[in-house]
Order: sequence, then structure tokens, then C-alpha cells
Amino acid sequence: MQPEPAVAPARTAPSEEQTLAALRAGDEGAFRDLFAHSYPMMKRVARTYVASDAVAEEVVQETWLAIVMGIDRFEGRSTLGTWMFSILTNQAKTHSGREKRALPFSCAAPSDTEEPVVHPDRFQKDDDAWPGHWATPPRPWQKPERRLLSLEARDHLKAALAKLPDRQRTIVGLRDVEGHSAEEVCDLLGLSQENQRVLLHRGRSRLRAVLEEYLDDGDV
Amino acid sequence: MHNSGPPINGHPVSEFDLPVDEVTCQQFVELVTEYFGGVLPARTTSQIEEHLVMCDWCVTYVEQIHATIASLRELGDERPPEPPDAVLAALRARKAGGT
Repeated sequence: MQPEPAVAPARTAPSEEQTLAALRAGDEGAFRDLFAHSYPMMKRVARTYVASDAVAEEVVQETWLAIVMGIDRFEGRSTLGTWMFSILTNQAKTHSGREKRALPFSCAAPSDTEEPVVHPDRFQKDDDAWPGHWATPPRPWQKPERRLLSLEARDHLKAALAKLPDRQRTIVGLRDVEGHSAEEVCDLLGLSQENQRVLLHRGRSRLRAVLEEYLDDGDV
Repeated sequence: MHNSGPPINGHPVSEFDLPVDEVTCQQFVELVTEYFGGVLPARTTSQIEEHLVMCDWCVTYVEQIHATIASLRELGDERPPEPPDAVLAALRARKAGGT
């Protein structure tokens, strides 16, 4: 069985004890490392509650202020990450109460459910010679040793990621952009492994299709 | 004989015990994430592996999924913003012995 496609792990962070000590001591260098390491995930999760990137950034900033100001009140009954995340979600919910309601991850949304990830017309029909096999197969994108995508294609991918349905965007962002494990993401968002896989599958497949269309059009 | 286990993509696991000896390309593209996640029944996994030995087009599809993931990972290398001034000020006050 082939392993999961190689996804670089999330950047290494210091131990929880080190992080806690650094925050309590006002260690700016350690704080900056933690901030940089956590920011993408925090913003991505905040964005699931609020209507814009700008508000999500505001939520993250307010969260960090609350963390720094309140770090002495952390009693260690949960992990530091869990405590930080609970502050984040509380801040986000305060903002989302003024905007749209957050859609719980445990509920399916229409965009997350049943439609083929590749259009059925790409496959041979029941009365063809090889039903279910490719009729219009995928074409290789490029030689493996070349850089994966041009900068323009990357921008196209980034735009496509931003347009994914909310849940798919969040899961693909956390798993594939930021390299968090399935277990981390499921714990963070209160998702089952199955739901996480469904969202990841649909998001990745949609982005592959977008890239395929873009690259085939450009005949790169 | 059906496999037990949690549903996959909302379908009962038994649906992924494919009734025929081969998996089609159309089936494979729906199962690719589960395949790499190692959560499919053993028989289905074997059928997929046999299919990939014979189907260059599905191998190309897999390469495209890998390339998509790798490209997404590159998006994650973008630098986050500077911490906000108010947070840095609070941190520095803490270091100086303030509240």
C-alpha cells in the first residue's frame, strides 16, 4: 500500500513548558517564533467564524493580546494549545455574533456532499468498451524534476483555494498548506476522521481539477 | 462477507468491497484520499494497487494530486505578519515587571 502523499510536517515548536516560561517572562524572541508558528492556523480557524480575512486577523490579534495579558491565569488543566484555542474561539464567536453564524463542522453543508470529483463525461459509459475507465484521461503536467508550478500557476491555485467552500478551504489549509496532521485537525475542530477525510478529498480534488484546467489551457 | 468499520465518504464500508475483480478509474478517483489514508478494506486496497500497476492514466492522476498537495505546501511558506504593537507592548511590560 502506498503511504499518504508526503506532506511536510508542521514547523517544529518548542515544548509547552518552554513556551509557557517564555510567555510569562516576556521573552520576545520566543514569542515571535510562537506567533509565526501559530498564526496561519489561528487565522484559518478564526476565518471559519467570521466573514472576512480582515476580521479574522483582528480576531487573532485580540486573541494574542488576551493570551499575553492572561498567561498567568493559565493553570495547566488543559494543554497550552487548547487554552489558547479556547480564547481564539471565544473571540471569534464574539465577532461572529455581529456577523454571520458559524456553521458547525459536524453538520454537512450542501457543497460538501455527493458530487463526483471528476466529471462523469471523462469516463467511458456502460455501453463503451471499458466502462468506468478514462475516456478523456489526465495528461502529465510536467517532468518531475522541474519546479512544480510557475508563480502564475501558484497564484491561480491560491485564488482557487480562497474560493473553496468554507469547510473544504479550512481543512485543505490546515492539512496541506500548513502541514497539520489529521489527528491535530480533528482535535482542533471537533471533527471525526471520516468527516475530515471527506472535506480534504473534495477540496484537494477540486483544486486538482482547477489546476488541470489552467495548465491544459496554457498547455504548459 | 462484509467488512466492518466506520463509513467512508458517507457510504457504508461494505460498499467499498467491490463486487468485481477490478476497480475502475472512475471508482479510483473517488477513493484516492481514503487509499492514501490507509482506511480502505484490504481487498479494495489490493484491487487499487493492481489497477495502478496497469493504468498509467490513474498513475498520472495520482501524480497530479501529489503535485497539487506539494504546491499547496509552498503556499504555506508565506511569512505571517508582524505581531501587533499592542501585543508586543504587553509582552515588554511583562518583561519589565509590569502586569
